[in-house]
Amino acid sequence: MASPVPLKVVKDIEQPASEAPLYEIRQKIYPRAVSGWFAHWRLGLVVATQLLFYGLPWLTWNARPAVLFDLASRKFYILGMVLWPQDFIFLAGLLVISALSLFLFTAVGGRLFCGYACPQTVYTEIFLWIERKIEGDRARRMRLDGAALDADKLLRKTVKHLLWLCVGLWTGITFVGYFTPIRTLLGEVISLSPGPWETFWMLFYGFATYGNAGWMREQVCKYMCPYARFQSAMFDPDTLIITYDAQRGEPRGSRARSTDYKAKGLGACVDCGICVQVCPTGIDIRRGLQYECIGCAACVDGCNQVMDKMGYPRGLIRYSTQNALKQDWTSSQMAARVFRPRVLVYIGLLLLIVTVWSTALALRSPLKVDVIRDRAALMRETREGKIENVYRLQIMNTDEQAHRYVIKASGLNDMRVTPFAPVSVAGATTQSVVVTLEVDPARNKPGSHSILFQVEDMDQPATRAIEKSRFIIK
Amino acid sequence: MKRAMWILWPSFLVGGTAEMVFFTLLDPADLHVFGNPVELSRTAIYTLGFFLFWLFTAASSALTCYLLQTSNESTGESTGQ
Repeated sequence: MASPVPLKVVKDIEQPASEAPLYEIRQKIYPRAVSGWFAHWRLGLVVATQLLFYGLPWLTWNARPAVLFDLASRKFYILGMVLWPQDFIFLAGLLVISALSLFLFTAVGGRLFCGYACPQTVYTEIFLWIERKIEGDRARRMRLDGAALDADKLLRKTVKHLLWLCVGLWTGITFVGYFTPIRTLLGEVISLSPGPWETFWMLFYGFATYGNAGWMREQVCKYMCPYARFQSAMFDPDTLIITYDAQRGEPRGSRARSTDYKAKGLGACVDCGICVQVCPTGIDIRRGLQYECIGCAACVDGCNQVMDKMGYPRGLIRYSTQNALKQDWTSSQMAARVFRPRVLVYIGLLLLIVTVWSTALALRSPLKVDVIRDRAALMRETREGKIENVYRLQIMNTDEQAHRYVIKASGLNDMRVTPFAPVSVAGATTQSVVVTLEVDPARNKPGSHSILFQVEDMDQPATRAIEKSRFIIK
Repeated sequence: MKRAMWILWPSFLVGGTAEMVFFTLLDPADLHVFGNPVELSRTAIYTLGFFLFWLFTAASSALTCYLLQTSNESTGESTGQ
């Protein structure tokens, strides 16, 4: 009989590094509240941007919402202007201007947008504020999450999520309020009768806000935001970044307030960890510039408070540039580097585009005309032996008042235009007019002729549109 | 979770852009499906259109994600993540 094969149970072989899990496990971050100069700035911007966002749909202008993107009738109302799909170029121009401004701010000030004005930051701040009010400060929140579920925890969590959902829902209603007049919308919501698509978008946007600001938070910046990745293209050694002054701070270590740390060979960093605790993305700024840093300066505020308590000068963590840190520049030397070629190019481009864009917008004609030849027949001979061509003119009055327009045509001898009487077009509407042109074949050569339609505002002759078309004589 | 974000978010941005450009140039009221006019409100067509764009862009992102993953696994190279 064969002897049993000796078996030895071995532990799982450790995975080689190359097969380590692709994704790190997310550790929940509990940002500690911070107060200070930069926190005040952020609060100010949260209030300002949200007053604008939540308030704008409520403003009225000429008895209509001041800002309304009326998708259902394909017209955008912005203060005194009515924009049509044909004016899309202005919207595209506005996007280019916004992008260039972002480049400019980023080149000079680093991630100013991320840290102060990005909706992700702004809504996370609002949601965190609610979280602090309901669940307490950082330590209490961590304790609460670690504790077993009891009545108190259940109550706090429920209230928090309900409040978050309320903010989310209000944000969703406001968002849809940019597309449907918000007073009508709110009336429909209160009487539980909004349209199915509006209901869908309110819930969709509301839940997106709740999910992004309540649950996803820093992950949006770390994994989803394209701007976070390509901004390095706008950075240079003179861009403002949040920096830790390692020369002054190291070697770090704890000490009593009265200790002469220099005599003990220590740096100014007391290693209290406040800068890590306040960080919304959970990084340690003392390790140097990291792509996760959104430039919110919470660590600057946190560290300055500690420096004040210790009686050390502020600014161990501060806004600085790589060059300034390396060469020990003063702030005026740093400011002198602001107007470097890259920044000047951005400013030049921005000025140019803003000028062209605003001039074009100011000179935009409130009248647009499209000419379509009648498809049914090329031409028709009348009883009197004249030749008739039929056209359809789309007259778009983009002004908010009604206007009367006269239609004229030129390009052939003795052209007769019907209708002869002026056409009245109500404010911000399009009117389709059938126009008949008639010529005498005896006085014009046969063939296809280029002609011009001219539509002129009766009350303001300077407002006119000229459109080309063809006239066919057999 | 992260993979879902990588697929859904960029496709959301690109889908939104496609929606904007498409419906700026074309009026939903002029749309015909197999020769028949679409009997839906503009708002409905905008919404359905957006999700259709998002579906296609997400499919493209998902395919990219899938190809990246299999190429790394088949060659046994480190993903560099």
